Amino acid sequence: MTDTQSVVIERTLSAPIDLVWQMWTEAEHFAAWYGPMGATIPTATMDVNPGGRRLICMEMAGPDGTMQMWFTGEYVEIDPTTRLVYTEAMADAEGNVLPPEAMGMPPGAPMETRVVVELEDLGGSTRMVMTHEGVPADSPGAMGWQMAIDKLEAHLAA
Amino acid sequence: MAAVAAMDEEQLDETFAALANSTRRAILARLAEGEANVNELAEPFDMSLPAISKHIKVLESAGLVVRGRRAQYRPCALDAAPLRAVSSWAEQYRPVWEDRFDRMGDYLRTLQEADHEADREVDQGSDREADQEEGTDR
Repeated sequence: MTDTQSVVIERTLSAPIDLVWQMWTEAEHFAAWYGPMGATIPTATMDVNPGGRRLICMEMAGPDGTMQMWFTGEYVEIDPTTRLVYTEAMADAEGNVLPPEAMGMPPGAPMETRVVVELEDLGGSTRMVMTHEGVPADSPGAMGWQMAIDKLEAHLAA
Repeated sequence: MAAVAAMDEEQLDETFAALANSTRRAILARLAEGEANVNELAEPFDMSLPAISKHIKVLESAGLVVRGRRAQYRPCALDAAPLRAVSSWAEQYRPVWEDRFDRMGDYLRTLQEADHEADREVDQGSDREADQEEGTDR
């Protein structure tokens, strides 16, 4: 199954580990780098405590004016300065989770994803490993798509 | 970079549009078992040959189907490359994260430079204060 798909990115940053930790855990810093190209983060509410909620607003200029996208989730593991785990899902401005298809995401995209950040102190610089993984989708539509694609892929591999 | 991303986006749009039809998905499923010509592909459907041809053209322009060159018998074959891009949502996130981390790197540099700048100012400031204190002593 492709449910457990993930993207893993490793970087070495020339900054002390405490500062890199703040990039992920302090709203002001997080907002400064997180928005994709052309997007800004006007709102970032981050309760960095186990079970604490997060609500991030991404704003970008579109053909029909400014477009807002909201993401919500929860902090799962917080191990200051070395490990952070949080979940993410698309949401409305009140933090109610929306199915990814409703937001124009490809069918089969998981409802909820998990971001794992691992930091390692290299003395002045920091090694960062970020893993973004899909939490198995429970929406029947998404499953149907995924199964169809998996079946096709299995056929092709044979 | 942006142009490449836009191209990928277009490709994805086309792949999804092509997949958003049960006849076309059935055609792909049939082709997953091996090449077939239009007549063979049309067999299970209650549809005219031109209608089936139209569906195949959509799949072809989405890059999901490639056609042989022999004029009379032009078998259709499946090309799975666009499908892999679709099925891998995670890979779609990769360029987004790479882009973010580039910005995190820049931001960290700016922060640390600003910090050093501030340190220097504080040093100079305390020197000046010391001078002034000397001055008032006199």
